[in-house]
Amino acid sequence: MKKITELIKDQRVYFDGGTGTVLQLMGLPAGQPPELWNIEASDKIISLHNMYFDAGANIVKTNTFGINRTKFENYEVLIRAGIECAKTAAQGRENAYVAFDMGPTGQLLEPLGQLGFEEAVSIFADNVKAAEKCGADLILIETMNDSLETKAAVLAAKENSTLPVFVTNVYDAGGKLMTGADPAAMIAMLEGLHVDALGMNCSLGPDIMLKIIGQFKKYCSVPIIVNPNAGLPEVKNGETVYNIDADAFADYMRQIAECGGTILGGCCGTTPEFIRKTIEKTRDITYSLPEKKSYTCVSSYTHAVFIDKDPILIGERINPTGKKKLKEALRSGDLNYILNEGIRQTDAGVHILDVNVGLPEINETEMMIRCVKEIQAVTDLPLQIDTTNFETLEKAMRIYNGKPLVNSVNGTEESMKNVLPLVQKYGGGLIALTIDEKGIPETAQGRADIAGKIIERAAEYGIDKKEIIVDPLALTVSSNPESAVVTLESIRLIRRLGVKTSLGISNISFGLPQRDLITSTFYANALQSGLNCAIMNPFSQAMMNVYYAYRALNMLDMGCSDYIGYAMANAGDSPKQPEQAEESLHNCVVKGLKDGAVIQTEKLLTETEPLEIINNHIIPALNEIGTAFEQKKAYLPQLLMSADAATAAFEIVKMHIPTDQTDSSKAVVLATVKGDIHDIGKNIVKVLMESYGFTVYDLGRDVPPEKIRDCAIEHSCKLVGLSALMTTTVPSMAETIKLLNETDRSIKIMVGGAVLNQEYADMIGADFYGADAMDSVRYAEKFYL
Amino acid sequence: MITAEAADVEINRNELALRLGVNRGYDDELIEKCRMSLLKVIDYKCAYIRTAIDISEENMVDLGFMRVDSRNLYNNLSGCSEAFVMALTSGVAVDRYLARLQITSQAEHFVTDALASAAIDSFCDYAVKKMREGLNCAPRFSPGYGDLSLRFQVPLLQRLNAHGLLGITLSSSYLMTPMKSITAIMGIRK
Repeated sequence: MKKITELIKDQRVYFDGGTGTVLQLMGLPAGQPPELWNIEASDKIISLHNMYFDAGANIVKTNTFGINRTKFENYEVLIRAGIECAKTAAQGRENAYVAFDMGPTGQLLEPLGQLGFEEAVSIFADNVKAAEKCGADLILIETMNDSLETKAAVLAAKENSTLPVFVTNVYDAGGKLMTGADPAAMIAMLEGLHVDALGMNCSLGPDIMLKIIGQFKKYCSVPIIVNPNAGLPEVKNGETVYNIDADAFADYMRQIAECGGTILGGCCGTTPEFIRKTIEKTRDITYSLPEKKSYTCVSSYTHAVFIDKDPILIGERINPTGKKKLKEALRSGDLNYILNEGIRQTDAGVHILDVNVGLPEINETEMMIRCVKEIQAVTDLPLQIDTTNFETLEKAMRIYNGKPLVNSVNGTEESMKNVLPLVQKYGGGLIALTIDEKGIPETAQGRADIAGKIIERAAEYGIDKKEIIVDPLALTVSSNPESAVVTLESIRLIRRLGVKTSLGISNISFGLPQRDLITSTFYANALQSGLNCAIMNPFSQAMMNVYYAYRALNMLDMGCSDYIGYAMANAGDSPKQPEQAEESLHNCVVKGLKDGAVIQTEKLLTETEPLEIINNHIIPALNEIGTAFEQKKAYLPQLLMSADAATAAFEIVKMHIPTDQTDSSKAVVLATVKGDIHDIGKNIVKVLMESYGFTVYDLGRDVPPEKIRDCAIEHSCKLVGLSALMTTTVPSMAETIKLLNETDRSIKIMVGGAVLNQEYADMIGADFYGADAMDSVRYAEKFYL
Repeated sequence: MITAEAADVEINRNELALRLGVNRGYDDELIEKCRMSLLKVIDYKCAYIRTAIDISEENMVDLGFMRVDSRNLYNNLSGCSEAFVMALTSGVAVDRYLARLQITSQAEHFVTDALASAAIDSFCDYAVKKMREGLNCAPRFSPGYGDLSLRFQVPLLQRLNAHGLLGITLSSSYLMTPMKSITAIMGIRK
């Protein structure tokens, strides 16, 4: 028998339909896991598969959808039995294949959920290992409604088996996964991971899938699977029924096949009759595979960014080179600063964010993993993973939710042999620098030659040149007079190789006054030479001016609507919020005027000592609003707005305090205890503490006792604040207190949270109970008096 | 399934005031600004079934697909022979939006979190109103109330296909993601 991947080259193949639907007709009680029947009623499972094969299906899904080690202790036995049932039914039939069926874990992955990425990979890997031994013909990963979990399952399949991998995701009527991805984003990621076929299943009927299939046809280069439900479920007399019958279903499936659906089948509510009729209705349609597409794109967990005529902006601000505050943030592990830079650049209108966290004194791999995860929780832009450390690159590409842009490979043997296999395995757009063992060629032709060499080597790894974006490197024009001219000529030459181009723009003006002028003019020239991507500073108005003007002039912004919107928003240099500029710093903090607080602090700094600003302006203002809050004359949101304003002012002042004068001894460790994921209360305390100038080591939520102890020891911090919101996690708080007391009796522990009161706090041995955030601040102040 | 446009569900003001720690009827620019932004990311969905229940054994409720030992639920369902079992969510985009606010503004984060909690509760009232039309129902009751253990989230969500239909997942300590999600049981009186 041909391999399934061979068969689909020649003819349309058909999946079976619903499993649960038919089993319930056979008497499976609602609520009982159908997988148990693989052993208890294997004859029924075999007969289910036989019915589908008899109806003409080529592939049956094993009855293993819900099985994994977290749900069934005997998962291996159930998987083996499930595959055996399907193989028994397939035996002796022609073109009859068994798909080992893997459904979602039912848990959401970090950072929104709690399941770690590698843990998810390992759960799926155990399934795949069990299935690999039993002789399935392919692996079907189905009903996935989260892109990252899909990626975990595909990696597990690829790393533990050589079987073909098919993937179908669940889209809603708007054509999005539950966690946000559209078909283009899923196709970018899954084709990068080299799945053999992909598509959609469940949730929708064929009528709605018909509306989405066009997007698959447009973007997909591999066979497209369409396994719809029998319409929408309705509850009639306590029974779930679906609103599309077999005839109507088959009519829709015919239209889907005409619109590009390659592999057809059914999901919930469909029965062998649906499949038989679908086959009858679609048999005469001329069969063809999707065309190979040649576009260049990267993706996030929501959308794909296409790199073509319309210029792409890559935000450069998350890179420590020359950025003191970012370096500090990286050293202290303060992700908030980094996340804020990500959000600000997103709001400034970039399409991709560069992420570079390389500093010699930190563990780059760990920091990169944290940053990639956390940045993806707060912005939906694709990321450019920027590192020269191959281990860091691999780990980041692995956990990245989507298809990343990799920065970078270069023409050295060392770089190519390390980076290219990673792009082959995980997929990704690839920035290729025109530098090799001999350095950067002085001529444009020399740079184009290196580009050509990288393209060839990539092809040996099966990486199509559409994935390669060449960066011909812009050197500082002040020390290399011909730099700009050569780089621009390189862009033109490299474009002829049929690849896209990118440039780190800002470097060109290094060492010159009024850098923006040079940088933005160079950018305009580069765009005119055909540059696709610019790694740039989106907070430079000169750069953004060029970007919007270029698009308006080159028919990339029809009706100049983006340009007009941009120009109107940036008309003149009006100072921000002039009315706030009139208030004193004290009033700005009390009233929670963040912009005003920043302006006033900057003003004060010209005439006042930094520490004086903190002690005579910020703290008294905070005390005023804090007292008002305690007297119930101000509400918590107002207190928080004041804290926001004070923190903004504090940040500016801090930059003017010589490091030897900063008082890092006033510190507190904060954590929400293990088992509890509520952190709003803890965060409020954190903000207030910071606005009062405390150094806060925030360990986050669901923190094990040992981690809290280790942090306190590491920073010799004698004040620890613990938060819990659920009664079920109070014991975990007690356990943490016990451990801290055993470690060092001089560590003081304050506790707070909705379930606590003084009595509880005393019972578990806390030193202080804070009824609200101000309470905690007052205690901490007293502690450090 | 019941769905609703975010703007069509009035966020209960008393519920909101309670969560914000402000007096009833209090409103300000910040709250209004947060409300407007939140409405853009909310995606309300509700899955429910109507099922026969058996409460013949004291302090034990048999919902057909699960047996629940809870005195409080048993009392709540007294006089009922059927119940609605429901799960509702305002979608994972709300979680992402809150994560973002946590970085950019604690004040907005706090207010938006309170708004989002009040919003899902209000959507629950909205959905319940549609379900109960013409029926005499007991007040809705959720796992985590009284002695009704959170572990019943597992069979309940499974029965509703809440993962497939609503994207609700459970952590090992039975907490739901998206964060602003609700499960409940509502008895139908004879």
